[in-house]
Amino acid sequence: MNVQEFIEKFAEAIDIEATELTADTEFRTLDEWDSVAYISVIAMMDEEYDIQIEMPTFKTLKTLGAIADYIEKNK
Amino acid sequence: MNNPFSLESKVIIVTGASSGIGAQCAIDCSKMGAKVVLVARNEERLRQTLNQMEGDGHMILALDLSSSDGLKEVIKDVVSKMGKINGVVNCAGMSSVTPLKMITDGQLDQFFRTNVYSAINLSKEVTRVGNFDKEAGCSIVFFASIMGLVGEKCKTMYSATKGALIAASRSMACELAKNKVRVNVVSPGAIETPINARLPHMADAELRKELEEKHLLGLGECADISNACIYLLSDAAKWVTGQNFIIDGGYTAR
Ligand SMILES: NC(=O)c1ccc[n+]([C@@H]2O[C@H](COP(=O)([O-])OP(=O)(O)OC[C@H]3O[C@@H](n4cnc5c(N)ncnc54)[C@H](OP(=O)(O)O)[C@@H]3O)[C@@H](O)[C@H]2O)c1
Repeated sequence: MNVQEFIEKFAEAIDIEATELTADTEFRTLDEWDSVAYISVIAMMDEEYDIQIEMPTFKTLKTLGAIADYIEKNK
Repeated sequence: MNNPFSLESKVIIVTGASSGIGAQCAIDCSKMGAKVVLVARNEERLRQTLNQMEGDGHMILALDLSSSDGLKEVIKDVVSKMGKINGVVNCAGMSSVTPLKMITDGQLDQFFRTNVYSAINLSKEVTRVGNFDKEAGCSIVFFASIMGLVGEKCKTMYSATKGALIAASRSMACELAKNKVRVNVVSPGAIETPINARLPHMADAELRKELEEKHLLGLGECADISNACIYLLSDAAKWVTGQNFIIDGGYTAR
């Protein structure tokens, strides 16, 4: 999977500029990260990649690269 | 003394009877003596509810309520088998946690069909002359939610449908009172059922704790809601119409 493409979708989901983000970004430290951002990302993963991720699993993912890896492995 | 809450020999339709609150309503109506028509799409799960009910003479009706095709004939058939209808509990519904910007026309359509059209169309058919019990009266219960009264992030679609039901119930109450048909709404707070078990506010420990704290009395149980329905269906509520019963453990008290 193209990580940059995922980063752009992530950025769009939580309404920030993709240029601020890299695969190493620890997304929970972003100012914009809140419960709506979280729900938006879960919904985006479902819509764009057909991935339904459970809460406890999502919590183990720390960076954008880690989410992208997860999607790649579970597609 | 006569029990004013008895549903003895009343014919009650309960939609959404295959799961959660609707299943509880069907079971509890049977315990109060009603003959129940259980409606939902999944016939097998309707049977599971039926197995937990008391008395006999109940009926299972596997039906997709998001479409009204053929509903007129179906209700006529129910009346011919069960007798005239004394009450309807419109419990079938769907919910989601959807950010505003992800809402599509297709989803809106599905939400309104499932939550609003279903209840209005079923009420329309039940209240046709000959279908309901004009002598004893008929009680229609809509299921809204506290989300029809107050807001929460990502609940726009759901709230829109529940607010629509609350508004519709009052006009229906005005129109149908002359026929001894009462129309009321039950608006529950959060109760863990299959509708929400996998949604973030229930499945995530932190969000769930936040949600619990918003309810002064903690989260509710299905029976907290079915008991309110029994009251509204019974003769104890014969002077009650056009009202919204908020059963929410105190969520909306502050
Ligand atoms: N649980 C809560 O916290 C809560 C709070 C406020 C309000 N409510 C309201 O209470 C009602 C019941 O909720 P619940 O928690 O018991 O949910 P649930 O366990 O998910 O049950 C929903 C029921 O609706 C039926 N249904 C859904 N779409 C249908 C369709 N197109 N045609 C026919 N039946 C359909 C389902 O049966 P099939 O899948 O077999 O069709 C199921 O029996 C809903 O209106 C909900 O909005 C619930």
